[in-house]
Amino acid sequence: MNDTIETKDQGAGMKQGHVLDLKLPIGWLLSAYGALLTVYGLVTKKEMYAISLGINLNLIWGILMLAIGGGFLLTAFLKRKGRS
Amino acid sequence: MAPVITLNAVDYLIIGGYIVVMVLVGYSLKKYMKTGEDFFLSGRSLPGWITGLAFLSANLGALEVIGMVANSAKYGIATVHFYWVGAIPAMVFLGIFMMPFYYGSRVRTVPEYLKLRYNEATRGLNAISFAVMTVLMSGISLYAMALLFKIMLGWPLTQSILFAAVVVLLYVFWGGLSSSIYNEVIQFFLIWLGLLPIVFLGLKQVGGFAGFTAKLQETLLHSIKYLGTSNNPLGVDWFGVVMGLGFVLSFGYWTTDFLVVQRALASKNLNSARMTPIIASFPKMLVPIIVVIPGLVALLVLPEFGPAALPTADYNSALILLMKHYLPNGLLGLAITALLASFMSGMAGNVTAFNTIWTYDIYGTYIRKGRPDAHYLKVGKYTTVFGIAISVGTAYIVQSFPNLMDYMQLIFSFFNAPLFATFLLGMFWKGATAWGGFWGLLVGILTAAGHYILYKAGVLTYHSDMAANFYQAIWAWLADFVVTIGVSFFTAKRDPKELVGLVFGLTPKPKAEARWYARPAVWGTLAVIVAVILNVIFW
Repeated sequence: MNDTIETKDQGAGMKQGHVLDLKLPIGWLLSAYGALLTVYGLVTKKEMYAISLGINLNLIWGILMLAIGGGFLLTAFLKRKGRS
Repeated sequence: MAPVITLNAVDYLIIGGYIVVMVLVGYSLKKYMKTGEDFFLSGRSLPGWITGLAFLSANLGALEVIGMVANSAKYGIATVHFYWVGAIPAMVFLGIFMMPFYYGSRVRTVPEYLKLRYNEATRGLNAISFAVMTVLMSGISLYAMALLFKIMLGWPLTQSILFAAVVVLLYVFWGGLSSSIYNEVIQFFLIWLGLLPIVFLGLKQVGGFAGFTAKLQETLLHSIKYLGTSNNPLGVDWFGVVMGLGFVLSFGYWTTDFLVVQRALASKNLNSARMTPIIASFPKMLVPIIVVIPGLVALLVLPEFGPAALPTADYNSALILLMKHYLPNGLLGLAITALLASFMSGMAGNVTAFNTIWTYDIYGTYIRKGRPDAHYLKVGKYTTVFGIAISVGTAYIVQSFPNLMDYMQLIFSFFNAPLFATFLLGMFWKGATAWGGFWGLLVGILTAAGHYILYKAGVLTYHSDMAANFYQAIWAWLADFVVTIGVSFFTAKRDPKELVGLVFGLTPKPKAEARWYARPAVWGTLAVIVAVILNVIFW
């Protein structure tokens, strides 16, 4: 029983599988959201942020999302570079 | 009625961006869907972090999030029991003890395991009930989504239903389970990023945890301290919480529900499959941050739920009202996208689970047996269209019978609660016979239904509906457990040779090949330790 499992597992590891690297779409989506929120945070007036306790959270959250999205893209890029 | 929330162009751009990315991901997966296993099980090729996050997200639907925020406003910190008692132990148990039999036996579905371990009748009972319930539930959540977006944003019902159905249809038809799983992983990040701003702003306004302690009732602030009797906000005593929620309901759901187990079966090897629920258990422990804190904040900052609240206050609106209260346009679009994503991924998850069970366990077993793989791949793809059409139909039926939703959930619980006894005996006691399994499951389901009727008739009384639900699960489990053992003594035993790979004790232990830091047992133990520490902190 164990033997068959292992050979099959190796087979699955050898075949390419669904190699679409999910880090790319996540990275692009979060970076795009981050960029949009950052720009929007920069161009909007302070009055709009009365409800968020006076904090321009669009700007802060936009920068944070840019960083997270960028992190995903960077990891995917480094992995691809390492492979080739 | 005017919509609660007004969106602007930036918000719509964020929502639109998500839809575009999902359709593109689905389309780019199209070329990998060559065999049935590709479509139904992602070719058993995915890494543990992806299946792990999908495992968690499959359960983190929008209704779940909205409902848990509502529970937290009603019951306070005791809501954490749904996470630290009602999920972590079951997830770790699935990974360490049960996954070797699921993944190791190469079954493609949960009912297929029941067929190998017990018999065709047991599989049929499970497969048909699961398929019918899943596709109807998908329609119900489609309706819930459309209703929420109508009240919240003023979107018309029909357009919401059809639009969501078409988007889900496109990407599931193209990418099968992989599409569902990828969508769930993206949803995982969106739900955290979308809801955390509310947590930060809420904590800032009420003055952090000190603010909760100063302003809220003592009973809302402890998870365990008041469980000695059922005289607490939950109306359940410790036995009901530990046995009903922590044991029967949670193990029944996390270890036997194909919707979540299917994610682990998509893993690339046995070690990843075992790590799937264990990886999921860590973010699962943190989910109370985005549901319990907003629930408590709602009590302090929203007049609707303050001391002057009406007894009819609708706690389910707490999350939506908090979004309106705190989020400026921009972040608002992000939070709405998170809710939309979790509705759509919930629907996609239901549809792919339905697909798989229908094609393998019903169509491939009772209707057309032994056809080539390409035939079943085609059937699976077209079942997607069929499943989504039923969902849309159900969404319209629910519109005229709003109570249908409660009934469905109720009937689903009849099937789910006893199943764990059937699996526990099947996997860990080689003496359980084929007909023992069938009759145990059937009597368990009937016990749950009977308990419900007696409770509604007033013969049985509990402190709360939740207590009734927990004890119903305990009785159904016990009935299944006892009847399976009882019938097994009088019916023909299975040949132990046939049970190799299916039952503990007859199956060689998986060799610990991974290094110590990649072993399921190490991480599983750590998850349990952290969960215990969290329980002590919020005692």
